[in-house]
Amino acid sequence: MARNKYSVLLPTYNERENLPFIIWLLVKHFSESGIDYEVIIIDDGSPDGTLQVAEELQRIYGKDKIVLRPRGQKLGLGTAYVHGIKHATGNFIIIMDADMSHHPKFIPELIKKQETENLDIVTGTRYSGDGGVFGWDLKRKCISRVANFITQMLLRPGVSDLTGSFRLYRKEVLQKLIDACVSKGYVFQMEMIVRARQFNYTIGEVPISFVDRVYGESKLGGQEIVDFLKGILYLFATT
Amino acid sequence: MATGHDQSVGWGMVSFSSFLFIYYTVWVIVLPFVEPGVFVHNLFPPRIYAIAGPLLAGVLGLAFIGVFVCYVTLKSKKKKS
Repeated sequence: MARNKYSVLLPTYNERENLPFIIWLLVKHFSESGIDYEVIIIDDGSPDGTLQVAEELQRIYGKDKIVLRPRGQKLGLGTAYVHGIKHATGNFIIIMDADMSHHPKFIPELIKKQETENLDIVTGTRYSGDGGVFGWDLKRKCISRVANFITQMLLRPGVSDLTGSFRLYRKEVLQKLIDACVSKGYVFQMEMIVRARQFNYTIGEVPISFVDRVYGESKLGGQEIVDFLKGILYLFATT
Repeated sequence: MATGHDQSVGWGMVSFSSFLFIYYTVWVIVLPFVEPGVFVHNLFPPRIYAIAGPLLAGVLGLAFIGVFVCYVTLKSKKKKS
């Protein structure tokens, strides 16, 4: 029985300071659990020298564990996954954020959930069980809850957190979903789950803690809200 | 755990909605079975408002959403040009 290997896709843009930290945590948690892994860093031409840091990390941890797939410019999350998955040698793919909002300590839990229930997809949820968010003010929390309510009502996705991007996929499943999805940004994350339900893939959830950037503005303006509503209506109308 | 301030706002929202829900339920479902003239009827406005109120709120809500979406769309168009 072949051992499972997990490829972590890490799209980066200006993560020069966070990258060594995140890699160290990934290596620590994977090694402690005896899991076979590789980390694929997809840097979109970061002007702050993230790629140089990544190369240094490659020297430290080895070319088989840290794989670099850089691109010349900022091209978006969906295409980053497509680019990263092309040379992934694992049979499972983990996607997560590189800005420390997702903690690698949850990865063994995602893996365990997948193994015990033989699931196609496991997604981290901020809205059920122990899951939660640290660092959001009241307004942001309200917006998030209302948005989640709208998605639950319109799309009935069967998962409590539709916009989360800390997930584990079987490689073939991710490939098929990426080919089927047409939206961009976080609507893309929502569409992945909705299409997965359409294709009857099995999905499980693991509560995670999401730590929002304590520094650096991640603005949720009117434009994002309108884009979200449009995305939701599109998904509602087409699925 | 949410901060104290956020938790109190949360509780405020929950109590306000529970109050609204109970008030509306009594108004529309319980009162018709109570004899007219019983004091309880004085606590509630004429029943026509039970329809007019939510209807008006719904219309205003939709109008607000429409204005918001138009405003944001126009603003982004202006920025692009």
